[in-house]
Amino acid sequence: MVTMKKRPFTKVLFATFFLYFFLVSIKLLEKGIKTLGAEYTDQLFQSVSSPFVGLLVGILATVLVQSSSVTTATIVGLVGSGFLSLTYAIPMIMGANVGTTVTNTFVSFGHVRRDHEFKRAFASATMHDFFNLIAVLVLFPLELATGFLRKLAISTTDIVIATGFTATKPNSPIKASIKWGSNSILDLLSKISFIDKLHEQSYRLYAGLVISLAIIFIFLSLKKIVSNMKSIMLNKIEFGLDKVLARGGGVLAIVIGIVITFSVQSSSITTSILVPIVGSGILSIENAFPITLGANIGTTITAVLASLAVDGPEGLTIALVHVFFNLISVAVIYPFKTLRNFPIKLAMILSSATVKRRYMAIVYVLVTFVLLPILGIVLFN
Amino acid sequence: MKDYLLDSIDAKLGEMLTNSSHMFDLSMSCLLGDTNLDSVKENLYSTDKLINELHRDVRRELILHSAVNSRNPDIPLLLAYMTMSKDIERIGDYCKNLFEIAETGNSFTKDDDLDYLISLRDNISGFIVSLQTCLSIDKESKVQELINSGAKLGKEIDEKITSLLEDKIEVKYPVATTLFYRYLMRINLHIVNAATAIIMPTDKIDYIDE
Repeated sequence: MVTMKKRPFTKVLFATFFLYFFLVSIKLLEKGIKTLGAEYTDQLFQSVSSPFVGLLVGILATVLVQSSSVTTATIVGLVGSGFLSLTYAIPMIMGANVGTTVTNTFVSFGHVRRDHEFKRAFASATMHDFFNLIAVLVLFPLELATGFLRKLAISTTDIVIATGFTATKPNSPIKASIKWGSNSILDLLSKISFIDKLHEQSYRLYAGLVISLAIIFIFLSLKKIVSNMKSIMLNKIEFGLDKVLARGGGVLAIVIGIVITFSVQSSSITTSILVPIVGSGILSIENAFPITLGANIGTTITAVLASLAVDGPEGLTIALVHVFFNLISVAVIYPFKTLRNFPIKLAMILSSATVKRRYMAIVYVLVTFVLLPILGIVLFN
Repeated sequence: MKDYLLDSIDAKLGEMLTNSSHMFDLSMSCLLGDTNLDSVKENLYSTDKLINELHRDVRRELILHSAVNSRNPDIPLLLAYMTMSKDIERIGDYCKNLFEIAETGNSFTKDDDLDYLISLRDNISGFIVSLQTCLSIDKESKVQELINSGAKLGKEIDEKITSLLEDKIEVKYPVATTLFYRYLMRINLHIVNAATAIIMPTDKIDYIDE
């Protein structure tokens, strides 16, 4: 049957505009933080007392905004401005990885009326949770003990800068255009009398306003990038997933997961698409698993893009930490069958229990993603 | 911009129809011609398996399409594809039933109505080809034409069956002939139903009389 489709040209233009707006928002965040001043930011910084709290803050912040891209991009902005050190930013990035998995768990609730469907759907959602939790359990203590992720990311940053890649130079055309965009927004704000007065009376309140606006802009621009890119990439997503259905999982499925997520800038989109497919039984949970791992890797592109907007090389370093954390966790867990099946088995056990007692699904989400992080922050801070 | 999976589903429905047409020709050649049954049996059954596999592919791709487009799912279109693929799949089953009539030793090659039976075969064969065309061009008038022609032929076959049941027609194999007309009517009906799925609102699909 013939169906009517829209031309994608406008969507490409929109996506490009919002990508630029996203980078400008990161720059705005950096400027807002710098306006606060080192003395004040040092006080705030001290309130995050341990890397463990950083991890929990990363989980909670991502659950609240329902997007690891927003959290990681914000973290890049905070690190790039010097507000947040790598010591605390690295666990936050790990926490963002865990927090983002709650979105597809919510999607699985849509299948709650049919036992078998819900069992598969919930397992396909929670295997992502378990994989990311296991990755944190293994790599977080290792990072605390050795700092291997930090060292690897710093060395890579040095190599990238040494290659003379123009985007990393402070006076690069990309950075200059982003700076122009953020200055234009600040000029516009100063023309609003209320904000202008606020600027004169309290630079801290003014900085708070700029930071809040920047975070709202990051959220909105990412939302628009994701929706536009998804509609542009629909055919490619369908093509890629159709290939996985035909051939099964494996490395191809990881690559497809990376490509889809890289294109739409959101791991939640990829993992949420998988939930009804696994729920209906046309894709096995084992074959969906590598796509999820690919989504973990693909989503790291957002932080790398965000690092183009910040002045300091630390922005790129924390973005690379995100890349290496996900690459290493997949490289460590996926090649070994026993390790690979472990998150799947845990997810199956949880989903079997949840089918018998539906309320457990809600309890699981609340405890894992809200109560434990809050409790941890209160106890360890 | 074309949609990969919807295009793929269209292609698979087209392939199902090509295979159905092949099965129909084979089974009818066994009843109206001198085709050796053993020579076509394997071909007939393997083609039916192919149709069934294509049917399952269509279902998988419908789920995949609805999952990828979960925010804006075109539910009436997906339901239309679902019902259409089921109707086309059923054609293959009735072709097997027609073959089974021949397999039990019945043949209409010496029937007084052979010319009429051949014209029925040609009509239904033409309808399968028309349905394939309707799928690719989506022209409402063409689809409506197919529905009208199919409905007319359906009534004609129905009258034949009624006459056979009321013993108004004398035939050599009454049971086989009744079943033959019955299966042809079902094939014709599934073609018409599939056509209704292309242009009719979801609630009216399959209900041309009401």
